[in-house]
Amino acid sequence: MRVVSQSVVPRDITDEFTVAASRLKTGQLVKDEYFTLFEAVGALEIMDSKMDSGYLGPGENRAQALEDDYDLTRELAPDEVLGVMDGLLCYEMAWHMGHPLSQTLFTSLYLDKLLWPVPKTLDEAHFFRGRLATNKEDPAMIHLVLRAYCLALVKCCDFVHARVATEYYFEEEDFVTQLYNRTLLSQFEPEPFYDLLNRAISWIDEQKGKIEENVREAIRTRLLIRREFLLALEQDIEVIETRSREHFLVCLSQFDHLTKSASLGKDVSDSFSLKIQRKLASTVPPRPMVKINFDDALAHLKRLCQDAVDLQEIIDYHGPYNLKVTIWTLLSRKPQPSVYIRSLVQTLIVNNMTILGAVPVKQFLYDELAELVLPSSILLQANIDEIEVPSDPRFQIAKQMDAFVKRFSQPFVDTFRSACLNRCRIRRTVCHTIADWDNLQMEAEDLDEQLRTLSNEPPLMLANGDATYSYPLSSWAYHHKLNQFRLILQLGFELSIYAPEELPGMYWYLSHICSTHLGHIDRVRTFTVATAKRNLTDMAAKKRGALERHAALQKSLRLLERLTTQIVAIDAFAISLHALYVLLARHHVLPTASSAQAYSSDRLRYEIRMKPFLQITLPELVPYDEYHREAMLEGDSDETVLERATKAISEARKAWEATLANGAFMPEFDDEANTAPAIEEDWKRDVKDTMRACIGASIAIETVKKSLKSNANSAQSKDPANASSVNLRVIIPEAGSKARWHDWWIVPQVSQATVGPKT
Amino acid sequence: MTSNPSTSPSDQPLTPITTTPPPPRNDLRYIRYNAAHEDAYVPAMRQLISKDLSEPYSIYVYRYFLYQWGELCFMAMDDSLPDPMVGVVVSKLEPHRGGPLRGYIAMLAVREEYRGRGIATKLARMAIDAMVERDADEIVLETETTNTAAIKLYERLGFLRSKRLHRYYLNGNSAYRLVLYLKEGVGSMRTNVDPYGPPPMPEGLAAPEPALLHENGREW
Repeated sequence: MRVVSQSVVPRDITDEFTVAASRLKTGQLVKDEYFTLFEAVGALEIMDSKMDSGYLGPGENRAQALEDDYDLTRELAPDEVLGVMDGLLCYEMAWHMGHPLSQTLFTSLYLDKLLWPVPKTLDEAHFFRGRLATNKEDPAMIHLVLRAYCLALVKCCDFVHARVATEYYFEEEDFVTQLYNRTLLSQFEPEPFYDLLNRAISWIDEQKGKIEENVREAIRTRLLIRREFLLALEQDIEVIETRSREHFLVCLSQFDHLTKSASLGKDVSDSFSLKIQRKLASTVPPRPMVKINFDDALAHLKRLCQDAVDLQEIIDYHGPYNLKVTIWTLLSRKPQPSVYIRSLVQTLIVNNMTILGAVPVKQFLYDELAELVLPSSILLQANIDEIEVPSDPRFQIAKQMDAFVKRFSQPFVDTFRSACLNRCRIRRTVCHTIADWDNLQMEAEDLDEQLRTLSNEPPLMLANGDATYSYPLSSWAYHHKLNQFRLILQLGFELSIYAPEELPGMYWYLSHICSTHLGHIDRVRTFTVATAKRNLTDMAAKKRGALERHAALQKSLRLLERLTTQIVAIDAFAISLHALYVLLARHHVLPTASSAQAYSSDRLRYEIRMKPFLQITLPELVPYDEYHREAMLEGDSDETVLERATKAISEARKAWEATLANGAFMPEFDDEANTAPAIEEDWKRDVKDTMRACIGASIAIETVKKSLKSNANSAQSKDPANASSVNLRVIIPEAGSKARWHDWWIVPQVSQATVGPKT
Repeated sequence: MTSNPSTSPSDQPLTPITTTPPPPRNDLRYIRYNAAHEDAYVPAMRQLISKDLSEPYSIYVYRYFLYQWGELCFMAMDDSLPDPMVGVVVSKLEPHRGGPLRGYIAMLAVREEYRGRGIATKLARMAIDAMVERDADEIVLETETTNTAAIKLYERLGFLRSKRLHRYYLNGNSAYRLVLYLKEGVGSMRTNVDPYGPPPMPEGLAAPEPALLHENGREW
């Protein structure tokens, strides 16, 4: 019986449609303006076996197409159970890696039986569904062990799915949340899953001597890991309270057993079938199973566990600067932490307007301002709740600051959250948010002007007699914008965005941004120093709070100094690479991607490169002609450029040494114990890799120097024809290759070309 | 969509140092698509392009391009063959979100045994020239990050990588967006929606990529 709505009267239009269609020419397309390429691509051709997952081939009947012969109730040998478990783990990790369930776990006939039809009770979820009860006892190996493992595995997926789906991720890019109308047993509490696992473990323990020991041991290990993994995932963001790494650590401790017993399982690949895809509610064409090998699956799981353990190091709050270091360091690990970890970090960063489950967003933003631009300022102390007289300037200040917090909290917290995106998305997102920060800076400037009057800020007198003010909020916004400029460039290097011929210009641009940033920090420092000087007078007069103010000011100055050292290091390295690349380009040994017959010019390519910055008001866009002059060091002789490269690289090495010596974190107190040792280790490795890259650059510069020198000699003596071409071979090492010491520093490998006789 | 590695790296030198002469060419005929012969062309084209795709494009994808922008489609024919089509390029050209007139090279394929002769470069040039004639401001496309030959081909023509697209293809591979500006000031042209895609973080998921390529298969 068909259900037809009263208001709809169906009418057969087949004939009309056929007549209308017959008037069309072949290839003619009738579409409205909303039919875009996206729709065209989404279209499927029914009755094409590659696109139509319901298509039955000639001679194929429905039963054959949908049903598998595999007998789920058949007894499995212990090594077969092991094989199924390991097969499932591979698909589970493939799903973690971003492949859909339909091509991974949902190809398992065992899981399919448990999950479909959706069970109403957990007892209902078993492999013998739909069969009449027999007197024969169900084999415990399947009924108990495999079932417990499968159910717990699905429950693990449930926790992962829930966490990722709550956070900001990119569907199909990072993860596929599609469940095809099934559930991952989210309707059941986790307790019974542990009961099942524990019963399975006890039963396996009783089998000692009855089944082959190494297989028995291997099954036990897998059940144990599954239990601990489930416990760890159930803990989820509760980790803020529990601070427990125990379950992930137990998982990690079992990996040796897992690896060693990898070969013991017997493949039961016919318990996985693509036919299930035809039953899943989905409009996608049939797609192949995603097979990853067991070693890759283990490596993925192991990294996840290790990242989850180390992630605890971000939870203790030590101020915004230190938090940023821990988050960006952890999430810049290679390979990048999995989407589950990245989602978990997002939630830890901010949840219910609270940072790390402890610090209100407003406090977090105030801490940041105090660290950088407003140590001990009345702007951060005025609190609207405490002053009730609207005429009091402090009331007005508090009101303005509340407006500031309202507007700036989200974009500020997002500078932390964006680290949780995949690397490509980080760059794309920052290319977008940098324009927002440009606007934020202008808005902050208006606020600064109003607040300056309210707080009666004393001006700083310049040498020419002009008065100048600190503009703390907009200074802070500008600082963030400059960080983003740098990040866009550095991620550009990391993601292999730039062509070789762009490298001189891009490293010039990086140094240009760095020197702008250094100038800006100097300005901020000038005002902090002036405040500190005024405070010295207060201290001498033993005024109230002067001592605390002094400590806060000194702390801020130390942070500014630390930032300066880091940016000087980046700047010097960039200057050096810029100069080196200029020489390689000048002497035509730098590879180029574009040809003389290209459609575009350097000027047009520069415009593409500057696209994210075109609408930014400050720092102003460098006009192409100026850029070209600077980037090519026009007018400077080879000697001058060489000198520049050599000097800069030696300064860079010193500055990176100093950065390393400063350590990863800002100590809050002098003798503070480091609470993030694992992340600090990563941070140090990163700096050391940068220092290796510096050494690589020194060597390349020396090689170029020698070559230019011998070239000059031969030019003076007998071989003028050869004078213009240096005999060098240049290789640009790919990101991820051994010769590429650091993703952000593309150091060319320069060697003497082996042409002609060698002495 | 992906582009084809039909030109080997040695075909046209990357650096001005090496100059290997291209291999001798058969007499190929390069023609513009003609809707009058769609019955012959479209199946041949589909076969050529689908060859290495795990999941073929539906007929609507071809119709979408050819019906609207058939004049931007070019084919290389070897008349000595019973199925003469050995290369094809399919493109479109329309204002991008109310802003610049944007060309898009959707598909470029050359039969495997014909690769390395500069056929793809020739076809790409014909498509680009046709777009230039029609006053295009810019041309974009995507290519798999592992498809070195295609990347080199487009970079030689002056394209730049503007961004990397994570796991862009169905097989999990990433892509580069390649961009060619044909006029000055294109970067500053206003569009209705911000070209940098993702909305501010808290507002949910980003819209899907404007282009198709989520549907693509392996290297080809």
